[in-house]
Amino acid sequence: MKRRHFIKNTSLATGMALVPNFLKAFDDLMPEILSHRNLVVIHLEGGNDGLNTIVPFNNDIYFNSRPKIAIKKQNTIRLNDDLGFHKSLAPLKRLFDSGHLSIINNVGYPNPSRSHFVSSDIWQTASSHESIQTSGWIGRYLDKYGKMPYDAIQIDDDLSLALRGVHRNGIATRNAKQLYRSLQESNFNEILSYYEKEHHAEHNLGYLYQTMIDSKSSARYLYETVHDSKLSDKYPKSGLSGQLKVIGQFINSGLDTHIYYAKLKGFDTHASQLGKQDKLLKVYAEAIDVFVKDLKKTNRFKDTLILTFSEFGRRVKQNFSNGTDHGAANNVFVIGETLKKSGLYNDLATLQDLDANGDIKYEVDFRSIYQTILTNWLQVSAEGIVNSSQKNLGFI
Amino acid sequence: MTYKEIQHLYWRAGYGLKPRELQYLSTLSKAVIVDDLFKKSKTIVPLEKDLSFIKDFPQDKLKVNKELRRKFNRRNFEETKILNIIWLKRLETTPRVLRERMTLFWANHFVCRDMTTSHILQFNTTLRTHALGNFKDFLKAISKEASMIKYLNLRQNRKSSPNENFARELLELFTLGEGHYSEKDIKECARAFTGYNYEFDGTFRLVKRQHDFGQKQVFGRQGDFNGDDIIDIILENRQCAVHICEKIYSYFVNTNLNDDHIEKMVKVFYSNYDIEKLMRFVFSSSWFYNSENIGTKIKSPIDLIVGIQRMVPVHFTEKRELFKLQTLLDQFLLDPPNVAGWKGGKSWITTNSLLLRIKLPSMILEKESYSFQTRGEERNSRIVSVKNKYQEKLTVDVDWKAYRRSVKKISLELLRESLILSDINKGTQYYVNKMGLKPSRKNLVKLMSLPEYQLC
Repeated sequence: MKRRHFIKNTSLATGMALVPNFLKAFDDLMPEILSHRNLVVIHLEGGNDGLNTIVPFNNDIYFNSRPKIAIKKQNTIRLNDDLGFHKSLAPLKRLFDSGHLSIINNVGYPNPSRSHFVSSDIWQTASSHESIQTSGWIGRYLDKYGKMPYDAIQIDDDLSLALRGVHRNGIATRNAKQLYRSLQESNFNEILSYYEKEHHAEHNLGYLYQTMIDSKSSARYLYETVHDSKLSDKYPKSGLSGQLKVIGQFINSGLDTHIYYAKLKGFDTHASQLGKQDKLLKVYAEAIDVFVKDLKKTNRFKDTLILTFSEFGRRVKQNFSNGTDHGAANNVFVIGETLKKSGLYNDLATLQDLDANGDIKYEVDFRSIYQTILTNWLQVSAEGIVNSSQKNLGFI
Repeated sequence: MTYKEIQHLYWRAGYGLKPRELQYLSTLSKAVIVDDLFKKSKTIVPLEKDLSFIKDFPQDKLKVNKELRRKFNRRNFEETKILNIIWLKRLETTPRVLRERMTLFWANHFVCRDMTTSHILQFNTTLRTHALGNFKDFLKAISKEASMIKYLNLRQNRKSSPNENFARELLELFTLGEGHYSEKDIKECARAFTGYNYEFDGTFRLVKRQHDFGQKQVFGRQGDFNGDDIIDIILENRQCAVHICEKIYSYFVNTNLNDDHIEKMVKVFYSNYDIEKLMRFVFSSSWFYNSENIGTKIKSPIDLIVGIQRMVPVHFTEKRELFKLQTLLDQFLLDPPNVAGWKGGKSWITTNSLLLRIKLPSMILEKESYSFQTRGEERNSRIVSVKNKYQEKLTVDVDWKAYRRSVKKISLELLRESLILSDINKGTQYYVNKMGLKPSRKNLVKLMSLPEYQLC
């Protein structure tokens, strides 16, 4: 019997809470984990300015529209003859060069909303602007294919709409110990021992009880399964890094979880954008860099796909406050070892043909990205999850 | 009215009643009870916060002295935390429950966050003043608040280069709702609000050279509209009344909207946007007391913290613990998460928050130890700062004497009726039945620890 299974089974068999050793990484003792594929979704909240992320350094319209905040060619990292990375994305250049990053340009949807909340809801629910669904796309994945509440985990205190299904939800936790600890010291267990199932989870009371039951089953599982990664101490000190560090731990511990969700906030740069975005993109790139290294160490990078999106891009023309207002289509990053189409998936719009607001028109529907990931990566049918016919982009 | 109906009214319009208050009100008619709720909230009492520290920071010196500005910001940071505690204390002790409830509701409608304590207090007073007043006056006052002018970039909204942030939220969040205006309307509205600014003391100031006095085309109308004109025009649209009524229904009645009820509310509200009249209508209507509306709302963290303390008076010796609780439960007064405010409902509930919420009564009343966790560092909040420690106990003084007085000759059954408005799960009911007959301290905590207590 493998050591890890032995530990698990013993603790179950005796009913005793075996205290796992969080401090010591026992990767070496562990067998090759029977690998399954993971998806990590990162939401850059607030609307990241895609044009200053992937910079069209030869485009006159870009420079004329942004006299104060356009980024010059010499300050970018060259990707091809027309486009360059924002300098903060330097750590991603290696991924780009080794074919582990695919940049999809001009991603959006018809009749775009410029409201953070509406557009975030659209992205999270895989809806059209005309009829926004009330359940999230990952939630619906759980409805169809989920077995346990921890099939999808958000590293946070709150659970995003994306992970809320009609019948099932993912769970939100900041780390593996938190839930378990809190559970031990509450009268949760006593109350639950009396509970008789009679409510539907759609009703608030049923929802509360169901959440309690899910907490209980997940808490113990996480507590007993998760151990520290070797690279834990290498993660920079930032919110996103903290989340990816926990995700790294979870993946490297071989959790049965399929989807992880993380967020980086602060991209709503209406004023003094340059410094703010520099910092945020740096936080993003550095976190991704360590995360990928962490996964490579345990050979789990090959089983992991990282999707990064923002609810919209920003206006091509800058505003008076050296910032940018809410825009439309934007770029999406897909990171993974086995991409079929890496590098630049498509060309960035020329900026000659903008919509009535002066925003980039969408060319790729974001739902086709979900569809591609569901079908080609998670290997499930997207039917009932992405409720509109989308084409497979074949990037993976 | 039944105990349940009265408690329902008082939980939605206030923060719940003690058993004895419930007993007393049950002898009165519905009309009297509702009227009494409004009478008690007639007066407007701003939060009492000492602002004399501003004297140490004269405006002319702040302008030139960077170090002083830094000190001023730090001081404001601390003073705003004190304001948070003052507001919380007000909620726990006020007899004007409806005005307080409305103030908190509007704070989550006209969502705003600021650094300057005096401006925050002024904004809060405006919320309080208009909470049951006229929505049109309310909106005009809000658009001229220093905090709002900062928060939604009105200061950067100039004739030469308009900033759309305020105009967009005005239409999307404050009045019409998404889908009821065009991008062009936003741009034209933004022009009408150009030049909005404020003095150091928070007084509104229109900077004429930055204001666009030109013709604007908005919602099919043309004219040299200013900000107030725009608000008049928007409110002529019935959709504005619909949007506000839907929001009020969702908060005070049920998140499942009933078109029929809302249509009736709109008829009352649209004529002159009188908020008190609307609320009187809601609380007097029979559908407000339909069983599907009672005990089905998930309490907000503030509802929980305040509700417990209105039942048993508690003194927090360490104020930072109140910050901690608000942070962990995800509702920090004066620090909303974003422009849309707290989402409410099921969004309060996650595996983590529910554990804490269930444990909260025993933490506060029985000083049970608890573990907690830092919030994400990327939350760009200036107020929140919680150290990562485990296993702490709250340092609170619980006034059990006051509680015992309040439940003298009260049965456990009446206490349960006061505390639990939702149906009780069958299995859980068995657990409740085993508690005996006395409204003891232990039983109080047990009842408050039920998932059913999470609802109101």
